[in-house]
Amino acid sequence: MTLSLLYMAFAFFRKWQGWSRGFSEPVSEERDFRRAVKIWLAEVLLHRQLYALSFSRWLIHILIFYGFIGLAVLPGVAFVLRSSGYLAISDTFPRFYIHPQGYVMMKVWGDSFGLMLLLGLVLAGIRRIVQREAKQSSNQMDALLLALLLSVALSGFALEGLRCSLVPAEIARYSYVARLFTPREAHALVQLQPWLTACWTVHFLLVATLLGYLPHSKLMHSLLAPVIIAVNAAEEHTREDLYWPEMKKYRATRSPRD
Amino acid sequence: MARDEKIQGNKIAAGLTRRQLTELNACARCGECQAWCPVYAQDRRESITARGKLHSLRRLVEGSLPEAEREDFIKSLYECSACGQCHVVCPVRINTHDLWEQARMSLVNAGIPQPEGQIKQLSAIKEFNNPFGKPQAERSRWARSAWEAGLLKSPLRLWHERQTPVVYFAGCMASFEPSLQPVAVQTARLLQEAGVDFSILGEDEPCCMSKLRRMGDGAFSDEARKRADQFTRMGIDTVIVSCAGCFKGFHSDYARLWPGAQKVVHLSQYLDQLILEGRLRFRRETPLLVTYHDPCHLGRHNQVYDQPRRVLRSVPGIDLVEMPRHRAFSSCCGMGGGLKAVSPEIQHKMAAARIREAEATGAEAIVTPCQTCYQGLLNGTKEAASGMKVYHLNELLVRSICPEVAHDAVEAALASPGA
Repeated sequence: MTLSLLYMAFAFFRKWQGWSRGFSEPVSEERDFRRAVKIWLAEVLLHRQLYALSFSRWLIHILIFYGFIGLAVLPGVAFVLRSSGYLAISDTFPRFYIHPQGYVMMKVWGDSFGLMLLLGLVLAGIRRIVQREAKQSSNQMDALLLALLLSVALSGFALEGLRCSLVPAEIARYSYVARLFTPREAHALVQLQPWLTACWTVHFLLVATLLGYLPHSKLMHSLLAPVIIAVNAAEEHTREDLYWPEMKKYRATRSPRD
Repeated sequence: MARDEKIQGNKIAAGLTRRQLTELNACARCGECQAWCPVYAQDRRESITARGKLHSLRRLVEGSLPEAEREDFIKSLYECSACGQCHVVCPVRINTHDLWEQARMSLVNAGIPQPEGQIKQLSAIKEFNNPFGKPQAERSRWARSAWEAGLLKSPLRLWHERQTPVVYFAGCMASFEPSLQPVAVQTARLLQEAGVDFSILGEDEPCCMSKLRRMGDGAFSDEARKRADQFTRMGIDTVIVSCAGCFKGFHSDYARLWPGAQKVVHLSQYLDQLILEGRLRFRRETPLLVTYHDPCHLGRHNQVYDQPRRVLRSVPGIDLVEMPRHRAFSSCCGMGGGLKAVSPEIQHKMAAARIREAEATGAEAIVTPCQTCYQGLLNGTKEAASGMKVYHLNELLVRSICPEVAHDAVEAALASPGA
């Protein structure tokens, strides 16, 4: 994992070097940050533009977006809470979220985010296959990325499902999606160990591959789009080309493909 | 070979902004641009779409675009009317039309010239101050001829003779192109009808040079600065332009060079103001069901949507019906971005598609406030073998206010041997 993170950092550094070859534009002195923040929140967090163009695409993207963010943030939250517990900064949150009484909350959220991601990916795959126009314009690398993300989500659930078979049923039931991946018969840890190891290794390798591939894939938009939207939004009051005043009419216009 | 490509990639990258280089990586490849692109609708190549161009340009600056795809990318970069539709629908809001124009300039600086058709036009603009290669002395002939033919209430004053606060900037198309000269005459007459104290620049009227920017000619900044300085020295309050291309040039492209860019207004905005102030009086009813074509440079690029519609609705007898694609989604007629100079057949097909869209509304005529779009749409009626009438916005106003300067009458008067 460290290696893939290091590689990802290196790839980003190379990208940054590439972007730095350009010249810097004069920055507009007039900035309307309140409006910029409003636009940014609407565009990035609510996907307003996508919603106006196509409800189905909005739904698919919002499921993947929040599923992905949730899954990325959740381990971080657990890490911070655990650390605060160890450092005795506060006991309330770790006790609630990490220890049994609150642990289930983490599981419910984890499964929910995973389910959102899975659902979004499946719908995206169906759309790619069913809708001819979209298929025509997609390339093999886009399909590969979808497959990779799907594999990450499925292997994550499989791993969690195996783990569920080792915890008491009253706790396991909170992993409401992962439980579907739990073997029907009861197994001892010794019996499951090879499967757990294999599943963990596959999941780990897939995540590492995803992290390494991210800077070279279309997933770059997940990092760059919010930046580009923020820069544009900061200038919107001078350019007026993000169509803030046009929204009512805008919503009436759907994508010709939708 | 690979080293040469890297060197060229670096040169091209140096001509783009850091934001633009970042945008090349920000494309989500969603294909929304493809669904809306009016050029792709006529020439269904992936490389035509914004997504295709972004993908190729990214590899070009990285030095990894295969030789086989290079020609196709360059062709596609210029086979684009820079209408900005892809920018409007892009969920990432990549500022595509600015990127295409900057990329064209950057490619030229890196030794990859524009297509032949554009080079010819650019040379004419730089040498003669207009794309037709006509002498500057002929620029205001339309004004003299119109006065002599009795089409104006009084002779038009030249700014250097009488410094008025308002100047009418006719632009190259309406000044030199006989089929478009009626637009200039009608504009002048409407301003006279409203009692506006204005003058024209005559031989001092320069080309706005916006075509240089559209086609990626590096001389644009210097030329624009000269013109900006000229306007600043003149101290003009308001410049009225009747060409959406000139409007985009002055109002948007000059904005960073000339604080007075905001003083430039499009004719449709000015007419709207005159009507609101009650200075233009309609005398006759002209019953007609029309649909309105938003010029890209006026609408999408400058958000002038409401004023021309208000002007249309104020003409007695005019009913307006919208096409499915209107305002920010207006489908380009193909006259912008130097597309027509490299691929006239695609322009004709794009305009024909727009005409068919207009026909489907049941309207009797399609109206536009841009002389260039007007010409482009006329090409479309021929291509589509359509009987749809194409009018410049002025035409509907003069039919109600001063019918003696209706298009055909002006064209005939200016074409007569004495004119």
